[in-house]
Amino acid sequence: MLLHARDLTVRYGQRTALSGFALQLEPGEVRALIGPNGSGKSTALQALAGLVGAAAGRVEIEGRSVFAMGRRELARHLAFLPQQPVAPDEMTVGQLVRQGRFAHVGLFKSYGPDDEATIAWALDSTGLARFAERPLNALSGGERQRAWISAALAQEARILFLDEPTTFLDIGYQVELLDLVYRLSRERGVAVVMAIHDLNQAMSVADRISVMEGGRCVFDGEPGALASSGLIERVFRVQGRFVDLAPDAPPHFDVDLLRRHSPVGLTAQSLSH
Amino acid sequence: MTPLAPPLVAHPPARRLVPLLVGLTLLAPLVAVFFGVADLPLGDVAAVLTGGGSAEARSIILDIRLPRIVTGMLAGMQLATAGFLLQTITRNPLADPSLIGVSQGATLSVTLFLMIAVYSHDPTPTTLVALPWSWLPAVGMLGGLVAGGLIYLMTLRHDLGPLRLTLCGVAMGALLQALALGIVAGWGSSRMEVLLEWLSGSLYARRWEHAVFLAPFTVAGLAVLPLLRRPLELLRFESTVARSFGSAYRRDFSAVLFVSCALAASAVGAVGPIVFVGLIVPHLARKLARGHFPLVLPLTVALGAITVTVCDLLGRLLGGADEIPIGVVTALCGVPVLIALLRRTP
Repeated sequence: MLLHARDLTVRYGQRTALSGFALQLEPGEVRALIGPNGSGKSTALQALAGLVGAAAGRVEIEGRSVFAMGRRELARHLAFLPQQPVAPDEMTVGQLVRQGRFAHVGLFKSYGPDDEATIAWALDSTGLARFAERPLNALSGGERQRAWISAALAQEARILFLDEPTTFLDIGYQVELLDLVYRLSRERGVAVVMAIHDLNQAMSVADRISVMEGGRCVFDGEPGALASSGLIERVFRVQGRFVDLAPDAPPHFDVDLLRRHSPVGLTAQSLSH
Repeated sequence: MTPLAPPLVAHPPARRLVPLLVGLTLLAPLVAVFFGVADLPLGDVAAVLTGGGSAEARSIILDIRLPRIVTGMLAGMQLATAGFLLQTITRNPLADPSLIGVSQGATLSVTLFLMIAVYSHDPTPTTLVALPWSWLPAVGMLGGLVAGGLIYLMTLRHDLGPLRLTLCGVAMGALLQALALGIVAGWGSSRMEVLLEWLSGSLYARRWEHAVFLAPFTVAGLAVLPLLRRPLELLRFESTVARSFGSAYRRDFSAVLFVSCALAASAVGAVGPIVFVGLIVPHLARKLARGHFPLVLPLTVALGAITVTVCDLLGRLLGGADEIPIGVVTALCGVPVLIALLRRTP
């Protein structure tokens, strides 16, 4: 097992943001973390990455405690991309991606051919090779997001945490990102954990799904099992049903909207308001 | 693996700046040696520099001008570097050594020291005592270090971060400054002049002792900079990102803070709080480096030395016998530069 977390509990002052969280991750596994806003997805990722102090519990990577590792050593095992990261002014895409190699070069070692090749690969994987010299603040939100993903890729870690990586991307880039995640997992054996809002994207890309509610993990299993559990409607407070779109594809969650049940046509009266 | 991105090298224009700045760093003190309040013929100065010259010329050059220039250059490098380090780790373009209370701590300690020295030696306020001048650099430095240390401890109690540091620094700085001002106001002696001169930041009457006092800090400070190079790059990010990239954030943040505090406190002790050098020089360096971060630090060091030398020369030449303290010159020159830089900032 690549990563093993048990009984992970995080408190912010009086509030318990995460309690008794557990997760097991195999090499090459894609894991989606879903749940309503404030259900503890980000906290879980940060606690797993050793970025917030845990009040209780353990996280181990290949049997070694994450909390006992130095940040640089941990960064070689695990890359973490937070939600909406901020880069220094005037930093270019290439300079950002280079930072991803710090875990490997350290304080003094100069960037060797391997490092340069990895940086080029990381830029290329997100289609940013042409943008290396561009300042980040001159890019669109989607391009900037991909630059950060490149930086995480340049770390060449076997575990990749992504906190809502698709949030600011249009549907084209969302699909591109999900495909990239899939390729990384299958071709390079990278284990990916991502907090994600789109339930159907989670269902279609993830090998396993963890559902968070109020700081607890209330489901841990395969997408098919989640579809038949009836949890989604309760946790997200929606009405809907899972429908099969194709025989070998995971079911699609179809949500009920008021409009569909009691459609009211656009009348002259409602227009005048 | 597909064709490589264009190699990430320094922008050629920025690279070309380096020899230019090295040249300027050598040229500025040379010019400053030749010009001063006492009109020495150029030939005499050249003679002294080559080992000859009259006794009077030798005394003016070797005992007055050179130590002053060297002290100024060392202090300039230190203040500018300290400012750059603080601006980087706090991600605050307005940071300078006063942000971590170094200037104010030094001010308070020098004020207290002068008051105690004067009253303990001389109960009648009309006679002049020989003030313990030689103690001032050490006293100022100690005050600056203590203030920096207190602010660090206040920050450490919470999460060690840029915002917390800035808030603690501003609050502590204001308190120390108010205390110093209160003492000065209550004191009201004619010896305030001594303090005022130190407060305005001055290179007047700086001797070799001052240069010798500063040199170890300059050397040690510059020597650790290569160690801090990569940690600094990561400290430019917020802590979550920096730590994800593998930065030992708290350790590195503390180390950089300590280095900048030691550089600033020793410089302020020796020459007083020369305002604006720590604030403006890093901005100039950043403009010249054009986004190539590794160049900013060497440029900051060189420009710090040049700026102080040139500003001091201006103060000496423009003021005549009543020279203008360098702190005033840097402030007068610094404000237009700051406004010009800000105009081009989006």
